[in-house]
Amino acid sequence: MRNGDSTHQEPQAIKASPPLRTEPLVEPSSTPYKELPKGPVGRSERRIDGPEKVLGTALYGADLFFGKADYFAQVVRSEKAHALIRSIETGDALRMPGVVAVYTAKDMPGTNRQGLIHRDHPVLAEDRVLYRGDGVAIVVAESERAVRRGRDAVKVLYEELPVVADFDDALAEDAPRLHPDGNIMGGKRIRKGDADAALSASDVIVSETFVTQTVDHAFLDIEAGIACWDGHLLTLHVSGQWAHEERRLTALALGLPMEAVRIITPATGGAFGGREDLSMQVYLGMVALKHPGKTIAMRYSREESMRARHKRHAMRIHYTIGAMRDGTLTAAKITVYSNEGAYASTGPAVLRKAASHATGPLRIPNVYVDVYGVYTNNNPTGAMRGFGACQMAIAYNGMMDRLAERLGMDRADLWKQNLIHSGDAVTTGQIIPIATAVECLDAALRQYRAKKQHDRPLAPHERRGWGISVICFGLGYGDGFPDASRATVRLTPAGRLEVYTGGVEYGQGLLNMAGQVAAEELGMPFSLVDVIWADTGRTQESGSSSATRQTYFTGNAVKIAASELREQVLDIASKLLPVHPHELDLHDGKAVGRFNPSLVVPMAKLIEEGRKRGYSLEASGIFKPRTVCEDFDTGQSPRSFITYLFGSHIAQVVVDMETGEVRVERYVACHDVGKAINPQSVAGQMIGGATQGIGMALMEEVVMDGGVMRNANFTDYILPTFRDVPTIETIILENDDPGGPFGARGIGEPPLIAATPAVLSAIGNAIGVAPHTTPCNPQRVWELLYPDDAQTPYAARLTTAPPHALLSK
Amino acid sequence: MATDSTTWQLRCTVNGRPIEAEVEPDETLLFFLRDKLGLTGTKGSCLEGECGSCTVIVDGRALNSCLVLCPQMQGRRIETIEGLANGDKLHVLQDKFLASGAAQCGYCTPGLIMAAKALLDQNPNPTEQEFFEGMEGNICRCTGYAAICEAIRSAVQQWK
Repeated sequence: MRNGDSTHQEPQAIKASPPLRTEPLVEPSSTPYKELPKGPVGRSERRIDGPEKVLGTALYGADLFFGKADYFAQVVRSEKAHALIRSIETGDALRMPGVVAVYTAKDMPGTNRQGLIHRDHPVLAEDRVLYRGDGVAIVVAESERAVRRGRDAVKVLYEELPVVADFDDALAEDAPRLHPDGNIMGGKRIRKGDADAALSASDVIVSETFVTQTVDHAFLDIEAGIACWDGHLLTLHVSGQWAHEERRLTALALGLPMEAVRIITPATGGAFGGREDLSMQVYLGMVALKHPGKTIAMRYSREESMRARHKRHAMRIHYTIGAMRDGTLTAAKITVYSNEGAYASTGPAVLRKAASHATGPLRIPNVYVDVYGVYTNNNPTGAMRGFGACQMAIAYNGMMDRLAERLGMDRADLWKQNLIHSGDAVTTGQIIPIATAVECLDAALRQYRAKKQHDRPLAPHERRGWGISVICFGLGYGDGFPDASRATVRLTPAGRLEVYTGGVEYGQGLLNMAGQVAAEELGMPFSLVDVIWADTGRTQESGSSSATRQTYFTGNAVKIAASELREQVLDIASKLLPVHPHELDLHDGKAVGRFNPSLVVPMAKLIEEGRKRGYSLEASGIFKPRTVCEDFDTGQSPRSFITYLFGSHIAQVVVDMETGEVRVERYVACHDVGKAINPQSVAGQMIGGATQGIGMALMEEVVMDGGVMRNANFTDYILPTFRDVPTIETIILENDDPGGPFGARGIGEPPLIAATPAVLSAIGNAIGVAPHTTPCNPQRVWELLYPDDAQTPYAARLTTAPPHALLSK
Repeated sequence: MATDSTTWQLRCTVNGRPIEAEVEPDETLLFFLRDKLGLTGTKGSCLEGECGSCTVIVDGRALNSCLVLCPQMQGRRIETIEGLANGDKLHVLQDKFLASGAAQCGYCTPGLIMAAKALLDQNPNPTEQEFFEGMEGNICRCTGYAAICEAIRSAVQQWK
């Protein structure tokens, strides 16, 4: 410490350094579940895949090359955002030493089409490219060095076409048509009550236009994999998040029967929706088919990963909300334009999710929503954590802040007055039996107020503020989409419990979830569990690891399978003892008499006897709940989603009024997860999700300029680091879901959805101007503070505003 | 010392093992470790020194292996994630990462563990400022930073 400098703080020891994790605070259930877990469910068991990950022995896509790869492949990608292909000259590339072959669309054996919902995306461009990054040709060589040289030597002659750079270009009358049906990919509407009449009868109307950015998933494990065709079976090891769908789409694009493709997902380092579209499966598969017996390897560079792959939808949300003077919400009228980029990807699902989550957990009797997806010559946009729901959460949370300001009300009071309670309906008309938005908000507020830290004194140029967000999220695909998970459990002769699921583990904790549920049901120690996952040759379809669905869906499928196996085991025990199976229980790896605890048979003995007596010691389960498609004209459905999740976050920020820089100083996250099967894993998802949400609020943005991505690298695409995220205080509420495994709902997406609006709300509270554009990087904050000095005033940039955006009164 | 115009004779040690190999002068240490030695625990991600996934320790200092070329490694002592565990016994950082739930997707984990080891080897009780300086070169996209800090903090208490 310098002499006489009283403000200089002594460096703190690491013991006190943020960001630390506080123990997740688990609040007990108010609706006790009938089967209280006695085993691993509810315990923070160590990750099954943890040891190999800390040892560095887990094998991700690119780790499979060593000693296996015969040939390397690379994709030649379009350098134009919109152009006709005049010719592809491959001669120079083929003359490069080590280059084996160059393939173009005419070499593709199947449909040459990919796309999760519409098969509209040529794997290799045929006559036209629609974004910079579209695949044009594939080069195959004996080494990575040679394949890069070969790729750079392929010459593509283009005839450039006018570029549709953004919404306004796409909607212009003379806009080039990017797809046969025009530039509107599709839409979704909600019509509930009479929004126009209710708005004119309201005391207060507030309108705002929110502009959200394009976000890259930025998973660290870049796309990579290997493939081999043995003349009968094409085996692909490629990082992914839905092995069985990858098999179907790959087979289709390559003209193979589905049975001739096997997908084995290697260790996968993050996905966040970014691996839902096919990455390189068809490219690898096609090259493998041309070179039987050879193992083909392929990996993207970071730049290729960012330029070629789909992103989060940028949205322009025109939001008008009406209220009475006492704060009661009356109506909302909402128009959303969503930048779909060049191809549909999962866009239709994102649009529908945006519409059904347009008012979140708010009780608004009259709602009118129009959502449009608009094609542009940007990267395709598709699935990303919170798909559609997170953009809308920015808007409805932002509106609540503006309304509280207009009405002179406390923000938390205004929220509580308008949040749905159990038995109320969301925008789609679906009644929510257990709605815990108010409980989440209260718990977050209690934590925030009770542990009010010693805030450091502010410098004269700094302002401090805090913000609230409250969100809901319907889990699963819902909306009538057939959605099912399957699982198999098996007791092995060695006395271990094997769980088979088609679901992909990419870090979110699926293996522990499935393993802990199975071990709980069979009364086995968790250390005896093995999980076999995402191999289309060994596991059954369990749907995608997305939409926050695996805990609910695969958790239930595992529980159904394990409970049937449990019956077999009890039956064996009842023959050995002999007592009625109902008088026996399974725990700690043995069958024990419920009334006579001296009756004990260890599991090893039960397995041995079962095998002798002809029991299968194996069972399968399927969980396939029904949802009802939202009505085309009104968007109403009695059961669009199987269940809903609620959460509330509070952020505290300090804004530098001179530079526009924002620092998050304190953070509270509360979610109702039904039941935390593994509390450490749940808290991990909450912290990781909140971190991504903070990134979306403050720094992450894919900058597109006339169809050109300006920041396809981690130097210019800014991600949150150690210094950007404070301690995230996690509160887990457990209000059992009657249909969830052991009462569990899920956790994947809601933490991200809630985080971005909480930070924006805090910024608005600090500077007195509510943000409308993400990310709130220093430049944007500065433009909010000094709008007259902005290069292009915000309002002048919004040329597509619908009439209701001007209703504010 | 170049043996001919295109290849180099590289001599160094990796995890205590002497290595002699022919390398090309523009080959990165990351590529050499993974694709020549098969030490795939060291990961590549941004490939331009921003994310720290490829962190290894060279002569006691953490380095981004994607940014250094093999000829720069002449005579150096290189440590990678594969050299940490002692047979079945995890290194204290590995154990604490596992216990704290600091490895979810696991892709940033080897780089983080090596950065933390370099930091604590040099300074077993870092201040907050020193901690950030040692760790801020590593990005985690899925776990967030809290569990990682907790893991390193609890390793500090057992650091020898």
